[in-house]
Amino acid sequence: MRRILSSLTDGKGFDLLLVGITLIFLILLAGLPLVYNVLLSFQEVDMFNLAAFSRPWAGLDNYREIVSQPEFGLVMRNTGIFVFGSIAGQFAFGFALAIFFMAKFPFASTIRGLFLVSWVMPGLVVGAIWGWILAGDFGVLNAVLQGLGIIDETMFWKSDPALSIWAVTMANIWLGLAFNMMLLSVGLAAIPRDLYEAAELDGANGFQRFTTITVPMMRSTIGAVLALGLIYTLQQFDLFPAITEGGPANSSNVAQYWAWQWSFRIFDFAKGATVSVMMLAFVLIASAVYVWSTRAEVRG
Amino acid sequence: MTRNLRILLGAASAIAIAGAAAAQEDVTITVWSIDGDDRPGPSDTFSAEFSEMDNGITVDYRVVPFDEIVNETLRAYATGNAPDIVSLDNPDFALFSSRGAFLDITDMVAESDVIDQDAYFEGPLNSVMWDGRLYGVGKYTDTIGLFYNADMLEEAGIEPPQTWAEFEEAARALADPEAGVYGATLSARGNEEGTFQFLPVIQMSGGSYENVNTEGAREWLTMVKGMIDDGIMSQDVLSLGQWDSTGTFNNGNAAMAISGPWEIDRMVEDAEFDWGVTLLPTFEEGAERSSALGGFNLGIMSTTEHPEEAFEVLEYFVSQDDRLFPEFGYLPTRGDVELPESGVPLKDAALTLFQEQLQYAQPRGPHPDWQQISKAIYDAEQAALTGQMTPDEALSQAQSTIDGILN
Repeated sequence: MRRILSSLTDGKGFDLLLVGITLIFLILLAGLPLVYNVLLSFQEVDMFNLAAFSRPWAGLDNYREIVSQPEFGLVMRNTGIFVFGSIAGQFAFGFALAIFFMAKFPFASTIRGLFLVSWVMPGLVVGAIWGWILAGDFGVLNAVLQGLGIIDETMFWKSDPALSIWAVTMANIWLGLAFNMMLLSVGLAAIPRDLYEAAELDGANGFQRFTTITVPMMRSTIGAVLALGLIYTLQQFDLFPAITEGGPANSSNVAQYWAWQWSFRIFDFAKGATVSVMMLAFVLIASAVYVWSTRAEVRG
Repeated sequence: MTRNLRILLGAASAIAIAGAAAAQEDVTITVWSIDGDDRPGPSDTFSAEFSEMDNGITVDYRVVPFDEIVNETLRAYATGNAPDIVSLDNPDFALFSSRGAFLDITDMVAESDVIDQDAYFEGPLNSVMWDGRLYGVGKYTDTIGLFYNADMLEEAGIEPPQTWAEFEEAARALADPEAGVYGATLSARGNEEGTFQFLPVIQMSGGSYENVNTEGAREWLTMVKGMIDDGIMSQDVLSLGQWDSTGTFNNGNAAMAISGPWEIDRMVEDAEFDWGVTLLPTFEEGAERSSALGGFNLGIMSTTEHPEEAFEVLEYFVSQDDRLFPEFGYLPTRGDVELPESGVPLKDAALTLFQEQLQYAQPRGPHPDWQQISKAIYDAEQAALTGQMTPDEALSQAQSTIDGILN
């Protein structure tokens, strides 16, 4: 008995206790809802049997119906554009800014700090602001572009099916930029300065230093940033109701917003769950990449 | 000093105890509605008034945005936190009343001195009935017509259009892209607002929500698509709600706008031109008319712990029906309310017109799965107007979706 107690305060028991608390927390708050969600996708659910436990079993019917929806292909295509467009944009601009702010100039870190404002703002607020910027006839972006002479005709960012998904992607790039920049800045700061000095003495130019020192040294940071970017982008929801509502005609609808529409617009909770289970597969891949890329970080 | 302090403390605790006692006696009735979101409305105003009366009932009012109210109520109902009274758009009402989520108030109304079931108009009354029982009362009703900028029409020598062909002709004549003026605006948004404005077109061409692929509906979609393509109508009609869409009309950026009586007060304020309203155009002169039946209903949730007190609140709301039009620009759902002249000629003329238009207003549903039917209808409209599908393809797809829901 005493041995158990003492191992709890100092030793393996303490470790197990900590792991146990975390595990219980995860199982209760993440594991069970996840299993419940998967269960929902195999049942027939509407609002009035949502609170009940036993519901009619639907098997794979929900999956078949989701895939045979006329907008299924469009939604998948949009999700792809949104996810890869956002990640590419956030990463490229974030990396560029991170390197820019590594340079020593007055107020560099203060200005870098200000960039965090975009990350602190709630998605709905960001969405509302971008909604005004992107408005068709009276939008800020159109006024600027027309003033600069880049476009002649009004661009209907929110109402043109060819533009709408790009409009939301643009807003999301802005939203995620600061987060990418901060993580990459941390990675950059961790690279020893003397490596660059040595390379410079050996005659390596800026581009060579970037490709042979910065990128290899940043590999695990980059992996983590990209994986987190995928997860955050797949759960980005607020911008859609605030900017385009997935429209017009589903041209900016993505899987996460579609799932919400099924559940809370049409009240077919099973179909909503089905779409989220499909998304789960993508997130699992991203998580695997994240775990793999951060494997070298901390070993206890 | 300490003495004073002690007296003060004593007084403070006495007040606190008295306050707690008063709070215990008061029954709290929660009311949810969209009123008060973008402008003051009846439910928020009447709730505050009733709450201030010394009658042992406190009303806890919450504004829920239009897009959220059905969700929020469903979620609250499923988890046992439903409000006592909720105000829903009339086509959403059947979803709840058909499943017993609203309290059957047939007998309470029969004994009430304030609420008289026979006084209500048929359309709004039907939307609160299910299986011959009464589950709520109409809060207010509305419909849509065609607003026009009388100055622009007069300058161009055009009469207010009575048919869709005249509507297109007028819009094309009045549009002035150089000056940023569109010929017409409406709302074809991908939500209930889209259906609200498009379903009347289906109905006046001989269809209904059960039968959407009519020749008239196809013609109309082709006409509107052509107007968007030619810049006669803004492409933003696909994403703007009616309130924002009519805002462009008030600013003089559109010569005509399809919208309803809730716009009148703001238009009187904002529009710096002479305007008028005419009935929603028809396909041929003298052909069948139709319009949307809008407006909200009030119902008591069946989960309420205080049905009597909730009904008292409901009675108070109904007793204030004569203020709906003068104060909020809404039309009452019953025929026994005198609508006073406002003294604003444009407003009174518009009111007369909308009362005439109400005779042609047809309800959406009632059907428990209205949301799904509505989605099929606005999806079809959007698919056709963006050119994703031809009007025929879009409407036949909607028809097969609707058939699946109805059967």
